[in-house]
Amino acid sequence: MSEAKAKQAASATGVRVGDQKYSAELVNELEGPVVRFRGTISTHSPAVLLNPFVDSVHEELVKTCAPAVIVDFRELEFCNSSGFKAFIHWIERLQEVGETGRYRLRFVTSPQRRWQRTSLLALSCFAPNEVELE
Amino acid sequence: MHIDSGATRDPVMLFMRMASPWVFIDEIRRFVKSFCACASPGLDREEYLALAVHELMQNAVACSGSQPVELSLEIDSASDRVSIQVTNACTPEQAAALQERVDRMRQEPDALKHYLAAMAGTSPSERGGLGLARIHFESQLGLEVFFEAGHVTVQAAGKLALPNANESRVSNV
Repeated sequence: MSEAKAKQAASATGVRVGDQKYSAELVNELEGPVVRFRGTISTHSPAVLLNPFVDSVHEELVKTCAPAVIVDFRELEFCNSSGFKAFIHWIERLQEVGETGRYRLRFVTSPQRRWQRTSLLALSCFAPNEVELE
Repeated sequence: MHIDSGATRDPVMLFMRMASPWVFIDEIRRFVKSFCACASPGLDREEYLALAVHELMQNAVACSGSQPVELSLEIDSASDRVSIQVTNACTPEQAAALQERVDRMRQEPDALKHYLAAMAGTSPSERGGLGLARIHFESQLGLEVFFEAGHVTVQAAGKLALPNANESRVSNV
């Protein structure tokens, strides 16, 4: 599919967050919902912005009964440990949902950014039923 | 900043002293990554060493106020060692809390188990609590704390050459 067609196929949900150094957005694509992170998450307290964003994404995914969401890290240069806590928060929200309505987090990483797979490996050990690495 | 690189097998050292605001830590991480790639070519350690510097610097800047923070990095290929030291002003209470955290880490020989326990015990809405465990598991460095004359130094040190496959990181740590 051409880039133009792919853009047409993706529809914005209006669920997004961003500051000077990073942004994230939930979009609906042909393969399903995708949350795409870009930039560098390294502010003093990323949870102030990221946790409400994660809550909004979670509510949207539960409402639409999505079986999984792709969490695309390929354009995320770095995430500090405080930012990483937003994903722990996400898993906690997910674990509050009954098993039948629970979706999975499918992380996509960049081979050039080796920290991503290592960080997410730990997250997948923390929540093996909720986290997948593609 | 002072960079000292002698013969190729001599230790390579980097020393920085700064009173920098938080936003510059990203630039320091990028510089350290590039520096480590140059100092230890082919070992694929630079991302993990830069990650460790980033987490230590953020901890230091957060509690040092307007006081300078010092970073010292030594890469010794001949003895297969890397050492990162970050020093900042802090109160005895802050140093004791840091020491207690590192002591707890050293009681658990499995770095992944400690990291998972830290994840389970952390408050997702507050900053702090994961960085040292992350360094221990992801960067595969051991941690020590030294406190003297109102300044704390956190040292992260370990082997320079490591198998980077994540599978071995989980099974060998």
